[in-house]
Formats: sequence, structure tokens, C-alpha cells
Amino acid sequence: MMDPMRSLLGRVLLEEITPVVMVLSTPLAEEACRKNGLNFVEMLLPFSVFNKIDVPVRTASDQPYRLQMFKLRLVYASDIRQQDYKVAENHLKQLVSDAANAALSDLQSELPQLETILSETELNFSPSWIQTFNKELRKSVSFSEHEAFDHPVACLFVVSSNDAQPINRFVDLFNTDQLPSLLNDGVMDPKILKQYLLLHENHDGTMDRATGILAEMKSTFGSIDCRLLCINSSDGGDGELKDNPWLNVKAHLSASHEIGSFLNIDDLIEIKEFMQELSSKHIIPYMEQKIRFLNQQVSATRKGFRNQIKNLWWRKGKEDAPETTSGQMYTFSSMESQIRVLGDYAFILRDYELALSNYRLLSTDYKLDKAWKRYAGVQEMMGLAYFMLDQSRKDSETCMETAFNTYLKLVPSAQRNATRCGLWWAEILKARGQYKEAAGIYFRISSEEPPLHAAVMLEQASYSYLFSRPTMLRKYGFHLILAGNRYYVSDQRPHALRTYRNALLVYGGIPWNFILDHVHYNIGRWYAFVGVFDVSVKHMLEILACSHQSATTQDLFLGNFFETVENMGKIFEVNKLQLPVVNMSSIQVIYEDHRTYASFADLNVNENLWKSLEEEMVPLASTIKSNWLESQSRLSLKKYDDSHVCVVGEAIKLDIEFRNPLQIPISVFSLSLICDICEKSKETKIDGGTSSFGFNDIEELKEAPSCRSRIGDVSNLVLSEFDLVLGGGEAKRIQLDATPKIEGVLKVLGVRWKLSELVVGYHYFEPNTKMKHKKGKRVARNSSGGILNFIVIKGLPKLEGCIHNLPGTTFAGDFRLLRMELRNQSEYSVKNMRMAISHPRFLSPGNLEDFNMDFPCYLEKQKFSKSMEAPANAQKFKNLLFYFPNDVTIEGGATFYWPLWFHASFSGKISLYLSVYYEIESCSSDMIYRTLRMHYDLEVLPSLDLSIHIAPCPSKLQEFLMRMDIMNRTSTESFSMQQLSCVGDELGISRLPANETISPLKVLHAGQALSCFFKLKDCSKSFEYETGLAFHGKDEKLDAQGNGKVLIDVSRSPFLEFHQQERYHQGKTAEGGISNIDFILISELHDSSSTGLHPSILSFHACHCSITNEIPLWWLMEGPRVMSHDFSVSFCEIDLELTICNCLNAEVSIRIITNDFMPETKLSDYLISDSNTNQGGWHNVSLANDIKEISNVQGVQSEKLSSSSSQSISPFIWCAASSTSVKMQPSSTAKVPLRICIFSPGTFDLSSYELHWNVQSSSPSDKGRPGDDAMRSSSGMSQGHPFYLTVMQSH
Amino acid sequence: MASTACFIIVSRNDIPIYEAELGPAVKKEEAAHQHQFILHSALDIVQDLAWTTSAMFLKAMDRFNELVVSVYILLNPLYLPGSRITSSHFDTKVRALARKYL
Repeated sequence: MMDPMRSLLGRVLLEEITPVVMVLSTPLAEEACRKNGLNFVEMLLPFSVFNKIDVPVRTASDQPYRLQMFKLRLVYASDIRQQDYKVAENHLKQLVSDAANAALSDLQSELPQLETILSETELNFSPSWIQTFNKELRKSVSFSEHEAFDHPVACLFVVSSNDAQPINRFVDLFNTDQLPSLLNDGVMDPKILKQYLLLHENHDGTMDRATGILAEMKSTFGSIDCRLLCINSSDGGDGELKDNPWLNVKAHLSASHEIGSFLNIDDLIEIKEFMQELSSKHIIPYMEQKIRFLNQQVSATRKGFRNQIKNLWWRKGKEDAPETTSGQMYTFSSMESQIRVLGDYAFILRDYELALSNYRLLSTDYKLDKAWKRYAGVQEMMGLAYFMLDQSRKDSETCMETAFNTYLKLVPSAQRNATRCGLWWAEILKARGQYKEAAGIYFRISSEEPPLHAAVMLEQASYSYLFSRPTMLRKYGFHLILAGNRYYVSDQRPHALRTYRNALLVYGGIPWNFILDHVHYNIGRWYAFVGVFDVSVKHMLEILACSHQSATTQDLFLGNFFETVENMGKIFEVNKLQLPVVNMSSIQVIYEDHRTYASFADLNVNENLWKSLEEEMVPLASTIKSNWLESQSRLSLKKYDDSHVCVVGEAIKLDIEFRNPLQIPISVFSLSLICDICEKSKETKIDGGTSSFGFNDIEELKEAPSCRSRIGDVSNLVLSEFDLVLGGGEAKRIQLDATPKIEGVLKVLGVRWKLSELVVGYHYFEPNTKMKHKKGKRVARNSSGGILNFIVIKGLPKLEGCIHNLPGTTFAGDFRLLRMELRNQSEYSVKNMRMAISHPRFLSPGNLEDFNMDFPCYLEKQKFSKSMEAPANAQKFKNLLFYFPNDVTIEGGATFYWPLWFHASFSGKISLYLSVYYEIESCSSDMIYRTLRMHYDLEVLPSLDLSIHIAPCPSKLQEFLMRMDIMNRTSTESFSMQQLSCVGDELGISRLPANETISPLKVLHAGQALSCFFKLKDCSKSFEYETGLAFHGKDEKLDAQGNGKVLIDVSRSPFLEFHQQERYHQGKTAEGGISNIDFILISELHDSSSTGLHPSILSFHACHCSITNEIPLWWLMEGPRVMSHDFSVSFCEIDLELTICNCLNAEVSIRIITNDFMPETKLSDYLISDSNTNQGGWHNVSLANDIKEISNVQGVQSEKLSSSSSQSISPFIWCAASSTSVKMQPSSTAKVPLRICIFSPGTFDLSSYELHWNVQSSSPSDKGRPGDDAMRSSSGMSQGHPFYLTVMQSH
Repeated sequence: MASTACFIIVSRNDIPIYEAELGPAVKKEEAAHQHQFILHSALDIVQDLAWTTSAMFLKAMDRFNELVVSVYILLNPLYLPGSRITSSHFDTKVRALARKYL
């Protein structure tokens, strides 16, 4: 807590509650002063303050004390009255307006940092004119009737020595007409201290006359109170005063050199002496005397118990009197007025104890009298006295609060008094560090005052919040805004601007969007008003993208913005203009170097995919980066590590998204890229390398695009321009092109657009922006500059291409011919073409002749067709590399077609990638070759599931039974079966039953399943004997009608290629190991299909079908079937032969055991346990009912076997040995003779023998086929096949 | 009850994470920014009061003319700093409650 005297309030009180000296002067006296540009009061003003007067003072007590600082207030008698409200108002308004100019100049300065603000004191930080304003505001209520400290203590009569009859003039001056109303109305004692001053102008030279008059005066008015003051000793002109004392006091007087020009230093000393004497010899002693006199009176009448009782009694009697605030009842002679004068004089002379005791006394009186205004005035002074005494904080606050509230009750008459009281109160609180409370007081004052005053009060409130501890920044900002608002209302826009601008310290960048909009909008608006358009626009820009505001507000903001820019009168370029918003993360750069693309969708494919596809196709050297340029090229690639290569005349495309953040539509014009292009020759001169190169770019990016003069030659670079209208909230993707026309270096720096004729927005691409470059991984490393640098080289002509009639959706098995189109729009012809295909299982390049054929008819099976064998190259199953014939070239301007065979090999979503490689005839460019990349996605729907099961024929060697299960997996389509072919020459196929058609099964409807049975016959000549069966073709036609349809030769291209692919891929998944039995099913989509998909034919490949066989043996019993024998002669002996075939590549030992009875249970056990295993040759079995079906079939078979065996008795016996052992070499055939004896005629089942076999695992050839071996048991027993023999009795 | 109201949830560092203009009165253009100003400045008081009381509900702790500010001080340990409340369901609930009680 500081000394109250040293606080702001203390100093203010010492300055403002001082004795008033009423001045009455004659016109001639005034005229003498006016030569110096001053009136009389002004002339004395600098000398009315005494900082070190050092006079002893003794008031009521006996202890004298010394006054140091003292001040007199000299006021003309005419000014001793309450100011007219309007005049005061205008005066205050003028004060604020004058300060506005200072506010405007402040606007140019930077906003201070928060730290620097907080390190300052409030007084230094808040504008100095605010204190002046407060003072003037307080002044407007001075000379009130209910207070005495403004009442003149003394009266100074000033008469010039030039006046005629000066003595009479003195008397005339104290004419009651001229005296202020306070004296006339009896509010104050007219008997005040009178001082008589004779003003003499020295240069008149008549000093004698003056001394004469003075002598006369002294005799008339008394010698003490008269004085002579000589002025104007200088003859003027050369301004000899070194430090003019009026400069500080009357700073607003314009012609400062004229002030005091007739006064020399002697005059000043004389004035000073006069003033010193006036205060120390006359005024202070007079006041002391008066205090002592009044104090005596008060003590006599009011102090002491008796007087108090009396006073109370007397007051009680007045209670019925009407309540009044006018104070008419208290004349100067009334006790109350005298106590007030006593208190105020004591206060002025700083005897606060005395003042306080009298105020206290008075306050109870006024309260009892209900003289509220006087009561409030006394309370106010009590508060101040408490403060100056620095005793009870609480008391001073209570007093101020009572005074303030009491005044407020008397609004409007005491409203300004309330304001003054509030100002005192706030100062008291501030002096004690209670800034927050002070702010509250200012806020309360503001609500009572007119807007302009309220604004100043609110501004002070804001500073109080700012300097409260802890700092209340948000309140500070809010009150600044409130103040600014009031300033604006009272037409003080510079001040409004100043406060709003200061509020930015709090509100700058906060996420409270409505606050930000309000602040920026108003600052922008007012800057425009004061003519600072550039700053105005800057603030307007902040609020343009106000998506949270209503459409009307957005419209208003935008309209204001355009208006301001128009007022600026020049094209305004905005970096990162938010209208529209550029979605930087959406940027995709599309450019083509040696890699070109058939469509933009192909750009989304991972570069690694393409790379692996093209691995073999492109020259090996190209993987080393520097080699795509020819060695003689003068461009050093190392220098442009960050750059990318593009080709002269081909556009670099930038895909970018623009979004309108507003609800109102905006239109954008001339949207284009900002690019730089440097000619090749220029660039080669730069030796500094990348570092200097990058630095330049960063420098450049600070400039607006219009400052960039380097794009001189329009013909070097062609930029596309877009106009677009974005509706409310709409986002659009735009593709912007830049087409370089010369070789060199092209830099894509940013994007620009016009929002109106005058507003240009631009947005540079920033280094840290992650852009999706659509060209390889190299580009992602582009971190040094962030700018897209391209080396523009002279490239090869670009081929464009597509594949016609490739379906987007198709059924598995779809088989068709496609047409690949390649267009060369340049003037050069291209050669050395190659093509890489990612899925050779789906696509296979054909021959040019294929176009001339009628598909599928030309595949018709010729009578003597020669099967072709394509070289099986394992590599080509992954990516197929196809070399176009050497004579294939595409002339400039020509369109070229090449056939492609398509086969939808499996279902699912497939992405097909093709890349076409080409060179040109005369290679004069920087590139050696280019590639055209094509990418197609297609969806293959499942159509038919095909599974094949082959089992050896139990009754025939080299014959097999085959079951084909087809399941229609579609939900709507029907398929008709056309043809089933067995691939290769080894096997023939025929339908079972042989001549029956499968006409009811010709069409397989949606969801249906079909099983067909076929017989396979081994046609190879490896077996020694011929069977009697007719030869069947290796193709079987399934279409019973055969209406003109022809068999298709599956051994020709392209079936051959696709089949090899299928063999390779199915072989990888087949369970039963590799075998040579493959089938191709050809079907057709039925005509009545509902969808638009019309594949002409569908082909299904079932590869690696193996023969399901439980045991490694085939055998066949051979012998007579029917014979006659005369049993009366003897029993019948029949020779049989068992041919056994070892189909393993291993040695097998076989034991044949003949039984004369059947071991039933053992047999059935064996069969059942075995039936569900060894399902080799079945694949793609996914439906449960399929499995069920199979097991049913197996079950029936086993039942039959067991029932037939159970019926058989043993009416015959096996002759010869009951057990025969045979050792068989791998893949060999052995014949074992058997014999039976029959004793009676009948039909016999000769299946009662068993083959016990044991694979010699030690055989070395076993190791070659471990997979096959694992499928089979190493040993086992098989029951003989049924062989029915009928023996008849011969006669 | 009040003819106009504004409900804001503020996270650390004065970041408003949810805002709703409520109340039956017809929306005025100024209301939104006025409310924001008042609530924002009230945070100064909250900041002071929060450490002096254990109460989570500070009723009428600040006022501006006839507008009264009441504050709940809450703590959500699961809040991800910086995220905004965008749930439309929450918004609907808040507005429904406002209709019921305002």
C-alpha cells in the first residue's frame, strides 16, 4: 500500500480540492495581459502551483504542521457557476475528438506484446487524455451549492494603472451584479478575503503614476491587501524567454512564440513573488483563522453531550418539514453550512482528521434532515478523507458506496455527481490494488452516462481488468469491445477502431468464431472509413470464409469486402484467399514422362505393379535412372534429383479440389496454375546446383503472382483457364493444365484465380504439403523445395490406346476375341513394339489373321488337325511378354489394331494390366522408348462349377468311367452344354449310355446341377491287345440336336495357350498330383438369358484329373462265360486267366488267395472305410449336396457288392494252389492262370478270391513321386471282381 | 424464463467444443456474437472461482445486464483434447431439454 498522497487519487485531490480565488478584472487590465496572448488568469496560471511552498499551518489543534505542495485555483467570477450541461458535453466531446487524431496515428504502430503491456503501469498504458477527460467530467459539477470546497476563499480585484479613477474601479468591481450567484443567493458568505492588485505596464514608463495609485489604494483598502504588479517590461518581438512557463500549461495555444512576448524575466519573478505572497501571507492564514473560528463555534454549539441531545431534539422538530434537495434551507449562516465550510477548509489544508470529524457530524444531520444530495456529498468527502488518512479501508468504501447509491437515487439531477463519486471510488480501489472492483464501478458509471462518456468509462474498466491480478484478459477484451461499440455509436470511429484493435490482443486467433468475425468485420469496416484500405482488406479477409454465419451475414461480409477493394482502386492479390478454399491434400499431379497412360484411372495403380510388369520388357539400363536421357544430352540429371521429366507439348495436369465455404454461391474466374519455365540454355548456365536453385524459389514465393515477371513469353507455356461457379457449400474438382512448349525447366508453383475483377487469389504449394504425385516413388522425396519442378525434354510421340469390347462384368469361362486399338497422333512412326500382360490366364495376344476369321466357327475341328505344342515356359505364367512381329510399325497418324484373346478363367474381381512398349524410327529425342500403360478392372461372376471323377472300369482294362458334375452357380442364367473335350491324344471319350442323348439336360437352368457319365478309353498303343470296343473321338458333343453346331478344336490357339495356363495354375492347387488327363467343357449362354451379358462361348478347363483308384492294381479275370458240360461224366474243370496290371512306378508283390467261401463282414468293412478316402481327381467340390451325392453312389455300390456276395454259396472249388505269389516290376503286366472245378450246372460268381498286395517301399523309383505314394496304402487286400460263369448240362 | 440462451461447452485453452443458441426468442443476428463475448469473458471469473470452491455448479457467477452466466465445471477424463462434439444426437437432446426447461 502506497502513501495515499503519492497515489494518483492523492495527487488529483491535492490538485483539485484547492482554494478558489475569484478574479475580477477591468477590461484595460485584461488588455494589458492580452498583449502576451493570455488573459489575466492564464498569465498567473503557471505560478499558481507551489511544489515546495513549505509553510507552517496550525488549524484546530495546537500542533502546527507544514504544507509542501499547494495550489490556488484562479477563476473569473463569471466562471464561478455550474457549467451548462450542453456546453460541458460539447467540451468533453471536443476533448475526445482531439484525442482521436492521436488514436489514428497510433493505428500505424504495431500492437504491443502482452508481456510489455503487463510490465507497464496502468497510468502509462492507458491514453493520457482519459485522465484529462475524467478531470473535465468532474469539473462539470464543480461550484455546486451543496459543497464548499469550490467556494471562493478570496477575491482578487485587478485594475490597470491606465484605468481612469482606479480606486472607483476597484469599488465598482465588487458590484453585486457581477458577483456569481453563489454569493448573491446567500449560499456562501459574501464577506470573503479581498485582495486589490494594480496592474502596471512597464513600457508605458509612468511608474510614478502607478506608485501614486498604489498609495491611494493602500489608504483606501488597507495597506496589507493592496499590491502593484508590473508586467510588459519587454518591448516584445524577440521572445527572450528561454523556457516559457506557459508552453506546458497552455499547449493548445497555437502561436506559442507570441505567448509572453512582452514579459521579461523580471516580470516573471514579480508574478511569482506575488502569487507566493498571496497564498502564504493571505489565503492560508485566512483559512487557518477561519477554521479556528468555525471550530470554536461548532464546539460550542454541537460538541459535547448536551449539545448533541439538544440538536437531536431540535432536528426532531423539523421532521415534518417537506423533503427537499434544493438546500435552500441551508444558508451560509446556518450551522450545517458552516460545518461544511469547516470540513472543506480543513480538507484543503490537509487536516483530514478535523475534516472527517466535522463531516461525520454533518452526515447525521443531513440524514435526519433527509437532505440527500448534501448527505451524499458529505459521505463522498468522508470517503476521501478516510482514504487520505489511510485508516479504514472498509469505511472509505462504505462511504463511497453510500454516496454513489444516494446520488444515483437522485438521478437525473445528481447523475453527474454520481459519476464523479464513482470516479473517486474507482481510484480509491485502484490505489489499493482492487482493480477488478474498480472495473465494476466504471461499468456502473457507464450505464448512467451518455454513450460517449460510457465509452470512456468502459475503456477504463477494461484497463482495470487488464491490470488486475491475476490479469483478466478476457474481461479486458470484452470491455474494450463494449467501449468501442459506444465510441462507434457516439460517432468516434477512430476511437472505436483503436479499442477494437487493442482487443485483438485477446481475440486474435481464438476459436470463438462469432467473436472473431465481429471484431475483424468492424475493424475492417472502420479502417476503410478512415481510409486505410490495405489494413481494412486484411481484416476483411479474415472473415470471408465464415461458414458458420447466416447467408445474409456472409453476403454482407462479401459485399463489404468487394466495396473496400474497389475503394482501394487497384488489383488486390491475396495469398491463400479462402474463397474458394483450396484443398491442398486433394492435389494430384498427373504428368507423363516415358511412361504414358491410357486413361487417368490407370494412374492410381501402384508404380511397383507397373515396374514388375515391365521388368523384362524395357531395356535393362532404364532401371538406372540417368539413362532415360541420352548420353549426349547436356542436361545433367543429377542436378535435378527432385525434378521430374515431362515432354514438350504434353500437358502436366493438376487435379485439385476447390470448396466454397459459404452458403451463397461464388463465381471464380480465370482459374489457372502459376508456373515458371526456364529455357534449357539458361538452366545449363547455372552451376550452383540445387542449393541456389531451391533458395530462389523460396524467395519468389513471397511475392504475389503479378510481381513475377519471369513468365515473359506466353508462347513458351500454355496454361488452361477455368471459370466456375460454386454453389453454397459446393466442392468441385478441377483439372488444370500447363503445357510447356520449349525444352528447359518447368516449375509449377501454385494456383491463382480471380474472385472479381479486382480480387485475385493465389495459393502457392507449400513445401510440407503432401501431394499425391502420380509418377513413381521418386516424387515423394520432393521435400527440398516442395515446388514441382519438371525437366521438359523433347520426347517421343505418345501413343494412345484402348481395348475394345472388354466387358466390365462377365461370367467365368467367357471366351472371346478383343480388339486393342493403338493410335499414333504424331507424325513419326513407332516400331519395336512389345507388350507385357499381367494375367496371361485372362488375356492372350492373337495373330493379325484372327480378325479375318469368324469366331468361333473358324475353330471348327478339321478332320486332320494337327495338335500344336506350345513351348512351356514357366516364366510366362506370371507375366506374359509378347513381341509384336518385327514388321509391325504404326505410321504417324495411323490407328493400329491387334487381336487379344480373352478368357475369364476364374471368378472374382480382376485387374488386368497391359503395358505396350515402343520406340521410334529415328531416335533424335532425349528418350529412347515410351510405354503405354493400360489397366482394366473386371468382375467375373461364377457360372458353372465343373468337377470330374474318374474311376477305373471294373470290367475292362484301359477303360474308365467318368462322372462329370456341373453346377450352375448363377441365379438367373441358363447354359447349354456344347462340347466336352479331352485334351491330348491318349484318351478317347464316349457318352454313357452310348447312344442315348442327354437332350433333357441340354440346358442347365439357374441353380441346377447335372451329372453326366462318360466312358474313357485309353487309346495309346502301350497295351498289347485291342479291345473290341469302337473308337470314340476325344471330343464328345453334348448337344443332342447338333443343329449345325460344330465341334471346336481345342488343340489350336488360343485354346492351347489358355489351356496351358490353366494346367499350370490348377496344377499348383491340385491334390492328386500331376496327371495328364485334362478336360475342356464348352458351353454357351442360353438365349433366354435375362442379362445383357452375351459371351459367345464359355470354356471351362478341368485339369489334372486323376483316376480314382484305391489300389495300385488293375486286374481282369478272363475266361469263358458260358459253357456246357456233361456233369454225369465228370466235374467240370475250367481254366481262367487273371491279368494283373501294376500301375505304380514301384515294385509290388502280389499274393492271390482263392477262397471257397466269402468273408462277408470283412469285405464290407473294408469297402465302407475306404469309400470316403482316396477321392483323388475330385476338385472344386464346394457344395454339400455334391458330396452327399457321391457318398450315396458309393454306398449303393458297396451294398450291391455285399448282397451279391452273401447270396453266393460255394458250388465250386478253386483248384491248384490256394495261394499264388507274384512279384511285379513297376508298370508291368502279369498273367496268372487259375482253375476251378464245378460240380453241377448253374451260374457262378467267381469273385471269391482276394488279391493281397504289398508295395516294396525300398524301390528307388518311389522317391520320384512321393505325393502320389502318400495317397495310397503301402499294402492291402482287394476282393475279386464279379465274374459270372454259366455252366449248362450238356446232353 | 429467459427468452434467449446460449449453451457452450468449453475445453481447455478456451476452445469451444460445442455451441448451441437456445431459447424461444427469435434469433437475432447479434445474439450469437454477443453471447460468445459474454461467455468468453465469464471464463475469467470461472478461472478465479474454480479454485476457491469445491462446488461444480457456479450459479449466476457472472452477469452482463440482464444476461446471467451459470457454469458447471466438469471433467471428462476420456476427452480427446482438441476434438469437437459433433454428435447430432447430443445436439438434439440439448435442444429438447432447452425446449422443456426454457
